[in-house]
Amino acid sequence: MTTTRRNLFKLAGGAAAGSLLTPAPWRLITDTALLSENWPGVPRPKRGEVSYRFGNCALCTAGCAVRARCVAGQPVALAGVEAHPLSRGALCTYGIAGHHLPYHPARLRQGPVAEASAAVQSAIRTLRPNEHCAVLDLRPGRTASWTYRRAMASVRNGMYLASESNTAVDLASAKTVLSLGVPVLDGWGTPGNVWALRGGFHLIQAEPVESRTAVMADLWLPIRAGSEAALLDAVRGGSASDAAAQTGLSEQQIASLARELRENGPSLVLDRNGASPMIARREAPVPEEWKKAVPATQLASVSEESIRVLLIDESMPGEYLPWSAIQPKLTSDCVVVSFAWSKEGYGRQARFTLPAAVYPEVVDDIPPAIDSPAAMFRLAAALVAPPEGMVSPTGFIAGLAGIDAKNALQERVAAIQKSGRGSMFDPSGAAKPADLWKALQAGATWIDDREPRASVISTQIASPLADDKNRSSAPLAIAFSEPRAAALVSPLMSKVTNESGLRLGTHGVAIHPSDARGAGLAEGSRARLETASGFVTVDISVDDTVPPGVIQVGGGPDLQNVCGANRRGRVVAL
Amino acid sequence: MTSSKKTIKAARYGMTIDIDRCNGCGACMVACAVENNIPPVPQGGDRKGLTWIRVYKVDNGAQGADRRSAFVPMLCQQCGNEAPCAHVCPQNAVEIDPATGIVGQMPERCLGCRYCMAACPYHARYYNWWDPAWPAGMERTLNPDVAPRMRGVVEKCNFCHARWHAAREQAAADGKPDTEPVNYVPACAEACPTHAIRFVDLNQTSVEGFRMLEKLGTEPKIFYQSKRDWVRQIAEAPRPTANGSKQGKEASRG
Amino acid sequence: MVEKIRDQKLIARGLRRCSTGRFALWIVPWAVLLVFGLYSAGLCLVKGLNQTNMDNRFAFGLWIFLDLAVIALGAGAFFTGFLVYILKIRELRAVINSAVVIGLVCYSGAVAVLMVDVGQPLRAWFTFWYPNVHSMLTEVTFCITCYLTVLAIEYLPIVLKNRRLQDVPSFLVFEFQLHKLTYVLAGVGTFLSFFHQGSLGGLYGVLRGRPFAFREGIFVWPSTFFLFIVSAAAVGPSFILLTTWLVEKISRKRLVKPEVLRLLGRISGLMLAFYVMLKTVDTLIWINRTSPERGFTAFEYYSWRPFGTWILFAEIVVFGLLPSLIYLTPRLRARTGWLAAAAAMACCGVALNRFVMTVQTLALPTLSFDRFLSYTPSWQEVGTFLAVVAYGVLVYSFSFRYFRLFPEERDLQDAAPERNEADLDAELVSAGR
Repeated sequence: MTTTRRNLFKLAGGAAAGSLLTPAPWRLITDTALLSENWPGVPRPKRGEVSYRFGNCALCTAGCAVRARCVAGQPVALAGVEAHPLSRGALCTYGIAGHHLPYHPARLRQGPVAEASAAVQSAIRTLRPNEHCAVLDLRPGRTASWTYRRAMASVRNGMYLASESNTAVDLASAKTVLSLGVPVLDGWGTPGNVWALRGGFHLIQAEPVESRTAVMADLWLPIRAGSEAALLDAVRGGSASDAAAQTGLSEQQIASLARELRENGPSLVLDRNGASPMIARREAPVPEEWKKAVPATQLASVSEESIRVLLIDESMPGEYLPWSAIQPKLTSDCVVVSFAWSKEGYGRQARFTLPAAVYPEVVDDIPPAIDSPAAMFRLAAALVAPPEGMVSPTGFIAGLAGIDAKNALQERVAAIQKSGRGSMFDPSGAAKPADLWKALQAGATWIDDREPRASVISTQIASPLADDKNRSSAPLAIAFSEPRAAALVSPLMSKVTNESGLRLGTHGVAIHPSDARGAGLAEGSRARLETASGFVTVDISVDDTVPPGVIQVGGGPDLQNVCGANRRGRVVAL
Repeated sequence: MTSSKKTIKAARYGMTIDIDRCNGCGACMVACAVENNIPPVPQGGDRKGLTWIRVYKVDNGAQGADRRSAFVPMLCQQCGNEAPCAHVCPQNAVEIDPATGIVGQMPERCLGCRYCMAACPYHARYYNWWDPAWPAGMERTLNPDVAPRMRGVVEKCNFCHARWHAAREQAAADGKPDTEPVNYVPACAEACPTHAIRFVDLNQTSVEGFRMLEKLGTEPKIFYQSKRDWVRQIAEAPRPTANGSKQGKEASRG
Repeated sequence: MVEKIRDQKLIARGLRRCSTGRFALWIVPWAVLLVFGLYSAGLCLVKGLNQTNMDNRFAFGLWIFLDLAVIALGAGAFFTGFLVYILKIRELRAVINSAVVIGLVCYSGAVAVLMVDVGQPLRAWFTFWYPNVHSMLTEVTFCITCYLTVLAIEYLPIVLKNRRLQDVPSFLVFEFQLHKLTYVLAGVGTFLSFFHQGSLGGLYGVLRGRPFAFREGIFVWPSTFFLFIVSAAAVGPSFILLTTWLVEKISRKRLVKPEVLRLLGRISGLMLAFYVMLKTVDTLIWINRTSPERGFTAFEYYSWRPFGTWILFAEIVVFGLLPSLIYLTPRLRARTGWLAAAAAMACCGVALNRFVMTVQTLALPTLSFDRFLSYTPSWQEVGTFLAVVAYGVLVYSFSFRYFRLFPEERDLQDAAPERNEADLDAELVSAGR
């Protein structure tokens, strides 16, 4: 028989109809959704062996213990370590996503190392008699700090600039805490420790805006911005009526505050620049040879135009001194080199900004926090390898003095071990107690014995700042809303800054609607915040919980730089 | 070969959130994003973002010095009775697991019609308005246990279902019977530095607290706690205390 | 100079149409609008819905409001079909073809916008594959797709009756066979429309989380289910009336006998009155029982500016009761101007009702610490909306020119000749064939 076209069509039709009775088309139909389920461009997370590594968070001096969940060696999640005696398993909003920092788009990947080195060496060679080569250390109290001090002892007219780091506060024995705008319950000290001790003290928060700490405090005193000194004066025996006039509180409130501080002691007063009382805290032991090092100098005591070379280590987040305070101390031909994670911070002013490895790429020790009366020694986690081209600040600076500081950490640990002091907390429980260096590298913490009689230091707090005098010049009083933040924060922080109005970002400020209207600003607009120290571009939030005449600012380095020494500013639309 | 019928002891996972312990730090929000591969969406502002758990700042309605605030973490309330979203999804992309009580979302099946978002009174559901994008290199930090979603689909908190799976695998590896509920902790509860968020199995623990919008009858499994009267009143809408701010736009942020 | 009608062979015998050039001039701006609209829609498809101003709290916006309003207005198709083929009201045969075209345009436009509105249009078939029997939206999807098919089939005979297409014998036969199906199609169309108009209302009535929209009802159907059906049936004839009047004005021809418009008006008026009564009862129940049980006194919703109680008043009284009274007053009904005005008001009323159920529902806060939100569509959304309008005008214009949409037109035309040179030429040309 001959096959005709009709036969073919019949066959095809029959086959098609018959295939509907098989599972084939019904399974294949769901495959048409594959394109929509595997959208091009959506990344596929890599799989691999899961392992856990311990370390400590370097983003602030709390140095909270961290347990990193790693997949094929890459950290994908960070969590706290509950058993740690100080951090108690807490990790803050910044620390939770610290493993993202190496991939931050603003992270520096290269810098003019050779040029900077040449400029610095040439400047040191040609130092005039009254000129100095200075290191500014934003996170003093580390082993690296000792390296800088030793290096400056060997370099001509070397100087080491840092704020005080060997003082602490005894929160555990305080019964009443008066905080003058310090974010006690929101990033101060070691958060896990503060929360563990919370039940033991009565917290009175005195500040113009109801901050996160004020919300949780036992009492919030809504004082006027800039009136902290007056309040402190009154509780120490001064005139309550004067204080009432300046702070906006009633005389009864001030009298009752004074009475409480007196009768419900020991009491503690906290200010953004210090505390009262503070106790001296000895450092973890150092090798004897190191003690031939220059002492720390306060910036205020440096003569004008006397710094010819300034090397700034901002590679570990710390408190930014305002550039307006630093600039007068520099000579006109000063070579400024900054070791940083990004161009924000001193990178804006430095002639050379050199890329430093970010957390969690580098091993560095973390000095103890303000709420630890005993010294501690712990190492920041080094969970991933740094990229090529990073500069080690200690290597650079020690190199200038001809010192080999590569094994400084090990030498320090040996000294600690030799002293026989202290105890060790080991999160993994694996290393032998005798092997201190190995245990520390695996995330352990060495905690010193408490000194039986630590001396009490008196610090100057709540001192009026220079520009409090000319109140009328700048219309807005500055209130800080965030704890101090690093220059780089995880891109996921947008969840709390942009995608909700919960926190202010590193360049975020909040003002009252009437102030916004007056400056022609709206929610989300960009503006310039100007103070006597300089100016910075900020993002505006309009918030009617901020009192009129007050501007709440975030904690990034640029804002610290411009607002740190100034309590008043203005915003101008861009 | 005989087949034996197994009776699974179902868990009913829920949470207690102590508002008096929440300081609004947002660690839960960031930890959730880390665990669930939620991309940063800074360009969206606070109305187009992806915040499976979101902390709102609420206040007592007074002005000036009498104003008091509190922070309320809001996430999927895991409604126990006829979850509005499950009811309305046209293609059954919302699946309630009887073994855990978790209201699960299937992004691969979601059409993106956003009907569930209109239905949810807790605003717990979020839409992918953009393709997900991470800064270059940051994809290395993604959690391999959770699939990133594509644009055009709805997503929401699922009590870190991947961790539940991991806990089940671990229990199986440990030789525990698979009819018993497993213990695990979602990322937000683990991250909360003040332990304000606690994850519980409501079948094993009895909890106290108030729930949001109880009059709607959705039987949420998130129990909020506070000693302050005005905080308890924010659970009812509109708020029972008379305040003048209802004319025009309300003042709360977050 | 005489304007030539170049496409005379496509125009139905005996009907006068304007010259091709004039028609082209009419078409061009709508085509431009359509192109712009397609570009807007294309942007949304390619770049994603971040091109719109919808957000997590305003999950539905202009497009959903458009869909609901357009489907309500297109209800004239099913309702007129029901009246003509099931209830045998023969006079309405004058507008049934036009109604079908309007219905087709409305429904196909709504489906097209829906494809842009969803995030993953490639998954549109999931609703059919994994249907959720509890969801009103599943019901809507099924019924609308089926009804769109019905409308397409009902449109076919209108197309096939075109002068040129009738020359093809198989088309003639096919069209004849289709004719036998008309009653079946009308019945199926009514049944499907009943359900999808209703479930569009049910979409919002079942939202337990939104006390503003939630309504009690019968069994699984909230009262909005029935209210939407009745309002759609009421506004369908109004929209047909309005469009017929508009087309008459634009084309400067008499297309239907005035009694037809008056009949449409009367039917619409009766349905509207019925609707207003039902709506009032429903609103009272909502104010006094349903809403308070869920914690809200109804007037709390109206404390959020700009949605004051004026909107409720406007919806029910100004755009509901008033047009129905106009329709039911014989003296006013006799004047086409009043009829058109009442029709416009009725259409506004239904559009307002759809707006209230979609946009106002989402604007109102549900949690005590929510805010009232505002939303303005982006230009991409408006562009897509305008694309649908342009598409509708274009399809209708072509249908009006080349198909016999109004069976009575020829008789009316012969009865009142208004000739011009071009028409004479056209007649001579067609007579010469």
